[in-house]
Amino acid sequence: MLEDHKKDYSRERQQFVLVDPKGLVLDSSGTLIPIKKGLILNQLHPFFESLETLQRLQDKKFAFYCVHLQFGNHDLITDIDILRKKEGMFIVIHDLTEHYNSYQAVAQARNESIINEELIVLKNAELEERERFKNLFIQNFSHELRNPLMSSMAFTQILSDTSLSAEQQQLLDVLRDSHVHLKLLLEDTLSISMIASGRLVLKNTIFNLQKMLELLSFTYTTRASAKGLQFNFTPDKKIPVFVEGDRLRLYQVLTNLLDNALKYTEKGSVGLSVGFNQQWANKVHLHFAVTDSGPGIPEDKQSTIFETFSQLASPGKQKGTGLGLALVKGLLVLMDSQIVLQSIPGKGATFSFDLGLKIPLQSELQNHLEIGQAATSRKMGNPGRKYKLLLVEDDERVLTVLFKMLMDANQFYIDVLTDGAMVLETVIQNEYDLILMDINLPNTRGDHITKIIRDFPFKNVKQLPIIGMTAYAYDEHMQAYKEAGMNTVLAKPFDKEELLQTIFSLLRP
Amino acid sequence: MPQASAMQKSKKVVILGHFGVGKTSLIRRFVNNQFSDQYKVTIGVHINKKVVTLSAEDSISMILWDLEGTDSLEQVRDAYLLGTHGVLFVFDVTRPSTFQQLNSDLRIVSKKIPERPLLVVGNKKDLVSEEELNKLLLDHNISHDYLTSAKTGDNVEDLFLNLATLLNNDA
Repeated sequence: MLEDHKKDYSRERQQFVLVDPKGLVLDSSGTLIPIKKGLILNQLHPFFESLETLQRLQDKKFAFYCVHLQFGNHDLITDIDILRKKEGMFIVIHDLTEHYNSYQAVAQARNESIINEELIVLKNAELEERERFKNLFIQNFSHELRNPLMSSMAFTQILSDTSLSAEQQQLLDVLRDSHVHLKLLLEDTLSISMIASGRLVLKNTIFNLQKMLELLSFTYTTRASAKGLQFNFTPDKKIPVFVEGDRLRLYQVLTNLLDNALKYTEKGSVGLSVGFNQQWANKVHLHFAVTDSGPGIPEDKQSTIFETFSQLASPGKQKGTGLGLALVKGLLVLMDSQIVLQSIPGKGATFSFDLGLKIPLQSELQNHLEIGQAATSRKMGNPGRKYKLLLVEDDERVLTVLFKMLMDANQFYIDVLTDGAMVLETVIQNEYDLILMDINLPNTRGDHITKIIRDFPFKNVKQLPIIGMTAYAYDEHMQAYKEAGMNTVLAKPFDKEELLQTIFSLLRP
Repeated sequence: MPQASAMQKSKKVVILGHFGVGKTSLIRRFVNNQFSDQYKVTIGVHINKKVVTLSAEDSISMILWDLEGTDSLEQVRDAYLLGTHGVLFVFDVTRPSTFQQLNSDLRIVSKKIPERPLLVVGNKKDLVSEEELNKLLLDHNISHDYLTSAKTGDNVEDLFLNLATLLNNDA
């Protein structure tokens, strides 16, 4: 009985075939494959064409695993043993279709998962490369813009100091306004790029919040009035005077929101309200809201207007770059906040956000105020003294502008160099009070020269105040220049006041 | 006038390469002129056959052993390679992991199957631009014999015909 069952089982799962050296089937048992006595085996399936080769080898047994054999619509996955016998070859075919099919499913899942992972890594690398290229482009582009913008701003300032007619003065004001706008756009573009690449780091300092809000109120009351609009400023009385946060970035957020509100509002009002939520521990939580009575934002556009280069485009009426709100969103995320938009089309819009700002300790505040006073007292230097400066700049236009700015102050003797390689020799042979040096110089970079100067054995050279000037205004660049030994770095474009303030803050009276 | 009977030799060709590079698709395109976008993992070995006519007197029966792709060629079972006459090594031009070790992979192939015609094939060329492809080959210093697309059929026939000629000359 058992033998019968064994035979049945074996017949369904195994086949035994005996072939002579020419591949002629001498005998066959089992029903897996239609192999019959008298057939030529290699004509049944291409697998068996390898038998001829195997016969030439010395081995007595060959084992082939997981061989797919198709006969018509019948697919088998088999292990095949081939043994050398005196009659020829003895072939044992094991049907393992079920076993291998389950293995196939596992292999399928495994390989697909590995390939998908690889493709995701590649896709991410490609996106990162694109992002890197975009940021590099923006960085280089903004660099290229900074030098001409600086010359243009400075020449406008120089021109405004000459005797001009009222009309010329008015035209110059328009030019000055355009410069301010261009400079802001440049800063916004750079900020967006830095946020996207994760390189923007907030710089928290103690600042006078009330003063900043008053400045905004004054600026936008004037601008709103020029457009025939009313500006409503409603600050809560409990807002602290001094807070600790990134003043520049908060200012950037509020000006972008207010600019946007002014831009799209043709009648009615624009407003800024600052509410007091709570004060807890040493943190104050404020609610900022910018409202307008403009056309409002359709519901389907409300989620997309915070994307880069997104605008409410009405044909022929595009205004601005479409960067402002994206920048606001990005900056607020960095500040652990979130922009909220409420708008009913035709009835205006409100952009609001909550912000937690640290309240400085009394000792920190005192320290901050003392530093501020010291800086103010040094602001315009000692009027009775003339200082000797070394100015190193290779851009002819920027050099002319800087030279003119410094000469107009009437407090400096100036030596000029345009080549970085000449700096070391010049500072050894002359006694300077300060070096004003561009970073990207021909032959040697400004930060490299600074590093060498700081390693000099002579105290008078080693400790020379050095101000760097750069059009590469990314935070990490500025940090690297300071680490190289520069006392401070001015980001181009800068104006005369900023230049002189920086110089006098480093000069000994 | 009686025609000269064609002399047909049977030649075993193994197709090697990492998994998912399109080995099975190349064979399907060559043997059946078909293509499917759906990836089905090959386990073990599938064996196909196609007769290639080289001239009026000469044709070759190519026995194509489509081997399971592996992470390492050292893992390929030696039994599958017994009696091999020629080799195709296939990589995927879109997946660096399939050609980053190309030189060491080819060394393993030459060790396992010495002195046999070997062609190196970059498949899936339809998925990248010519510019990207040239940059990729240059960046990774890849020496290849053919760039193919099993999907479009580009260069597939030429590849197998060339291999058949090499096998015929190698006989």
